[in-house]
This record gives sequence, C-alpha cells and structure tokens, in this order.
Amino acid sequence: MLSLLPVLPIVIPLLSGAISLLFWRSLWIQRWIGVGGTGLLLLSTLRLLSEVERTGILSVQIGGWAAPVGITIVADLFSAIMAVLAGIIGFCVAVYSWYGVDERRQSYGYFVFLHVLLMGVCGSFLTGDIFNMYVWFEVMLMASFVLVALGGTPMQMEGAFKYVTLNLVSSALFLAGIGILYGVVGTLNMADLSVKLAQTADPGLVTTLSMFFLIAFGIKAAMFPLFFWLPSSYHTPPPAVSAVFAGLLTKVGVYALIRVFTLIFVQDVVYTHNLILIMSGLTMLCGVLGAAAQFEFRRVLSFHIVSQIGYMTMGLGLNSRLSLTASVFYITHHIIVKTNLFLVSGVIQKMRGTGDLKKLGGLYKTHPSLSVLFLIPAMSLAGLPPLSGFFAKLGLVIAGLRLEQYCIVATALFVSLLTLFSMTKLWAEAFWKPRPDVAEGEDEPRSDDEPMCLTMILPILVLALITLTIGIGAETFFNLADRAAGQLMDPTEYIEAVMRTRS
Amino acid sequence: MTLVSIVAEVTLSMLTFSMFFALMRLAQGPTLADRVVALDLTSTLVVGIIAIYTIYVKEPVLLQAAVVLALLSFVGTIAFATYVERRGRP
Amino acid sequence: MNSLILHTASRLLHPLLLLYAVYLLFSGHNVPGGGFCAGLIGAASFALHTFAHDVPSARKLLRADPHTLIGTGLLFAMGSALLSAFRGQAFMTGLWGGFDLSGLGHVSVGTPVIFDTGVFLVVLGVTLLIIFTLSES
Repeated sequence: MLSLLPVLPIVIPLLSGAISLLFWRSLWIQRWIGVGGTGLLLLSTLRLLSEVERTGILSVQIGGWAAPVGITIVADLFSAIMAVLAGIIGFCVAVYSWYGVDERRQSYGYFVFLHVLLMGVCGSFLTGDIFNMYVWFEVMLMASFVLVALGGTPMQMEGAFKYVTLNLVSSALFLAGIGILYGVVGTLNMADLSVKLAQTADPGLVTTLSMFFLIAFGIKAAMFPLFFWLPSSYHTPPPAVSAVFAGLLTKVGVYALIRVFTLIFVQDVVYTHNLILIMSGLTMLCGVLGAAAQFEFRRVLSFHIVSQIGYMTMGLGLNSRLSLTASVFYITHHIIVKTNLFLVSGVIQKMRGTGDLKKLGGLYKTHPSLSVLFLIPAMSLAGLPPLSGFFAKLGLVIAGLRLEQYCIVATALFVSLLTLFSMTKLWAEAFWKPRPDVAEGEDEPRSDDEPMCLTMILPILVLALITLTIGIGAETFFNLADRAAGQLMDPTEYIEAVMRTRS
Repeated sequence: MTLVSIVAEVTLSMLTFSMFFALMRLAQGPTLADRVVALDLTSTLVVGIIAIYTIYVKEPVLLQAAVVLALLSFVGTIAFATYVERRGRP
Repeated sequence: MNSLILHTASRLLHPLLLLYAVYLLFSGHNVPGGGFCAGLIGAASFALHTFAHDVPSARKLLRADPHTLIGTGLLFAMGSALLSAFRGQAFMTGLWGGFDLSGLGHVSVGTPVIFDTGVFLVVLGVTLLIIFTLSES
C-alpha cells in the first residue's frame, strides 16, 4: 500500500466527490460525505507526511511508465506539508459549511465542487510534472469558478468575472511557457528539466522563459502588479468559500513559484530572484495600504492576503536556506490563520447580517469568547509573540539581515506595523466600540443576534489551537520547515527520487 | 499516378472551391436561416473532403471522423432550428 | 418542436447513434475513438431526442439522472486505476486478461476498458446535464 500513499490525497477527494454525486438529492448524506471524505483526506496526508519525514522523498510513477516520459507523483517534505494543510483546511471548512453555507447552494453541488477543488489543490502540490501541474491548476480553477459564482447574486457575478478573466490569462501564459520550455528542452518532468536546464547552452533564453512562469504564477498568487483581482472577488462568495480560497488557492501559486524557482530556474539567480524580491516588497506595501482604506470585514482581510503573499515570496527572493525555511513556516502559519479569520468573519456576518465595519460593534460585550477566537489569529497575523506569525516574521527578518538586504527587511517590518494597525482597526470597530444606533431608514436593530452554532465555532476553535501550537512549539515546526527547505535548496534528493527506476 | 488519385485530386479541389462559396454565404448571409444552411453545407462539404481524403491516402480509419461529423452536424442543425423557432424570428 | 420528419428521424437515428457510440468506445483502444468521443455521440443521440420531443421525455428515456451517470463514471475510472494498486503495481497500470472464444479468436479484456467506460459515462452525464439545463431554462 506504500505505493498508493502519495496518490491518496488525490484519490480520496475524487471518490468523495463521485459518491456525493450519486446522492445528489440528499443533502444530509452529502454533508456527511463532505465531513468524512475530508477527514480521511486529512488522515492520509498526515500519514504521508510522517512517512516522508521518516523515509525521505516518496515517488510513484503513474501507470508504471518510467520517469522522464511518464507522469510522476512526488511527495517531498514541502509538498507533504502543503498537502496536510490542504487536509486541515478542507476538513475544517467542510464542518463549517454544514450550517455555514445556505441550503440552496448546497443543493447545487457545493460539496461536490469542494471535493474537486481539494483534489486539484492536492494534485498541484504532489505532481512532479510541469504539464500535469497545469492540468491540476485547471481542475482547481474549474471548481473554483463554480464555487465563486454558485448562488449567482449580482455582486458575486461581478467578482467572479474578474476572477475568471485574470485566471484565464494566467493559465494561457502558463501553457505558453510550458510549450516553449518543451520546445527548448524536450522534457516536461520537473526533475529532468532541472538536470537538463543546468547544462543548457543558452541561459538568456531560460531566464526569458522563466518570466512566463513568474507572471503566470504571480497572477495566481496575487503578487504585485497583478493582484487587484483578489480583493475585488474574494469577499463576494459565502464566507466558507472565501475561507478556502484565502487559505489554499493563492498559496498554490506561491507553492508553484517556490517549486519552479528552486528546482528549475536557478541559472540566473541574481536577476530572477532579485526581481521576485522587489515584487515581494511592492506586494506587501500595496496590500497593506489597500487594507487601510477598506471598511468591510472581508475586504480588509482580502487585502491582507495580498500583503502576506509578499512575505512568502520574500523568502524565495532571498534564496537562502534560512529564508526558505521561514517561507515554508510562513505559509503554514498563514494558511491556518487566514482561513480562521475568514471563518470568524462568516460567523459575524451570519449573526449580524452584515460585514460592514461601520454597522458592526459591541461584539466583545455580547460574545466575549468569539472575540478571543478572533484575537488569536488576528494578532498572529500581525506577528505578536508568542503566536506563530511572530516566529515566521522573525525567521524572514533574520534571513534578510544575514544577507544584508536591509531595504526589504525595513519594508517587512513597516508592513508588519501597518498590519497590526489594521487588525486593531478590525478589533476596535467590530468588537470594541459600542454598537451603533439605527441608521436612518432602517428597522430597529435586532436586539438578539442569531445564535452561534457549534459546527461553525468548532473549526474556528481547532484552527486557533493549531495557531497556538505552532507558536508554542515553534522549534519543532521550524525544524521540519528547515528540512523541507534543505530539500528545496539541494534538489539532488528530489531528482534521485523521481529518476529512480523502481515504480 | 493512378486514375483514383487523379479523380480524388480533382474532386478535392472542387470541394474546396465550393467550400469557399459556402463560407462566403456564411459570412454574408442576410438572414440567420441563410447562415444555418451555409453552416450545414460547410459540414457536409467537410464530410465529403474527409471521405475523398480517406480514399486518397488509403487510410480507412479516417472515415470514422466523417461518420461522426455527419451525425453531429445533423444534430447541430436541428439545434439551430429549434433555437430559431423558439426565438420566433427567422 | 413538433415535426413528423424529426420524430421519425430521431426514432431511427437514436439507436443508430447509441450503437455507434458503443462501437467507438470499444474500438478506441487501437484506433481513433475512445470514451470521450463515444460519450459525445451518445449525448448527441439524447440531444436529438430532446429536440424532437422535450426534456422530460428525454430524461425518461435516459432513466438515470445525469448526476448519477457522472458519479458512476468517476467511480468506474477510479476503480480501474485502483485495481492495479491493490495488485501491488503502480497506480493506474493497465492489467490485462483474456479468454478464447472458440472459433472467433482471442478476446483481451483489460482495465483500460473500464477506465474508458468511466470516461464515457462522465462525458455523457456532463453533456446531457448541460443540454437539459439549457433547454429547460
């Protein structure tokens, strides 16, 4: 069964999706399959991580076709960590969606597309073939197009339109890049590409080619200058959907960037990685400044995704083992925290019926426990010790200082300060200030909020606990991230695992 | 140069020539019905071209494509017809 | 659309198209064809019926819900892929077996056929789902 382990994170969501389709009429069964399937996914990814951690990189040659020709599924530590995160988010969101997504959307196949989305995400993390990665991207995007438009309110459609257009452009660029790459090198297997490009005669062409991938993945990851689609579409679908998007989708772009720019395009590091560094700095600044101007709960959070993406790619741009470690750690921390914040915003929206900060208020008085659950991820995002965000930022800052890149370190610290300001704004507006009186032309404010249901609070609690664990046990997680970064910096082990002839 | 290949070449060029007119009607066609008929004609011509080409290169497998196209273009034209009928405008 | 010509044509063409779909499905391993285009042809036969009569009667003719078709197809495809893994080979490796029909020759049966059947069902289901939804709206 060991040979099946790396493909299980792809097989399980597909099977869950297929079985959900068989029970199209029964929402109740679909919900149970949603929770059960994602739970199994989580278990399988955990098992995969422990196996990879124990025995090294695992690979499966699909269909028994040997490496450079066939498709290889590879699980190194970085992929396995990402897959586990996908499992955690998938499970938490499935539980949350039980009541967090309205029945009408559920009856249009919400859970089916959630499974397909998770399959695409896990597939992109685990594949060792660049064209196959494109295919998984498409699977993921197809499902996300449906999820973002499902329900079809006019605001949603407007957001979906921007989302779809930009992502199609990015896919086209990605595909064009793959085509040219294949024309130049004659292989699509990433390990093989790494070997063959190292001996290439024309590094200038390869650098030009790498720009295709930088832009394509940059759009998906919402990096500067093509990030504007994210804040204008992520706040439109139901909170559970935007939580998955916020947690996983942009991070797939970041994963692809890190994978491609550590394994394949390492010929002209001075040019490509410095460019990434500059883009990261600008991404951070634009995101956080955009957030300062917003007054809608999820819009603020969406702009913060953009600024946080800058931190993750900053680690890639610095291109040292420590900085990559910090990047991996940052991604881990960010996925958990960001999803959690979106879930909290969903609870608030369900309770008060609005996400507008000006109309919210007094939540601390009525729901102190929820406030604490908001405060943990929010402060973690801002980077306050001893929460996970602090260690992630600390790692990046130290890595930057060691490489004497003072400019980007200063930017990172400044943006961190602004993030704290922004989180304080959310806290003050939604929780701290007294509830505003009735605006003109509206009914009496409902004195009693809708009750919170347990299935919506439980995932938030679990994610908050994970954040705390990452913060308190930072050393363990940092060591794991360090080993993952080691595998990324020195791809020999990866290449050997893929090229090994045994299936 | 066998007789079959000469005939095939002549027929192919004639079919291509007719294709030109069909496409012209498709582009010009004052009414929607004109365009639908032109489209149907185009697909019929393509079926013919494939069939002749199959004989020309002696590769019977290609004939399947012609069969599929012939069947589907029929359904396609009907779909167009229903659409036109439902819109209530020629 | 209530046209006698169309009704008659659809009654004649519907089984013909389905038969051709099945032929494409099974011949697809060695020559052009396979699950995908077989699914399209199969869907076209039901589409023809939809245009000739109406959606409810086409649904009745299909018997199964398109969603069920998609789900079953996915299970078929995954099942064929998993079979080899349970036999200890790499995921999705084709397994082949066969039997002799006396006088008619050797028949090979393999997991790729199951996979193709799955693709056929998925394509049929998705296409019909789209066609039914569009014609109902």
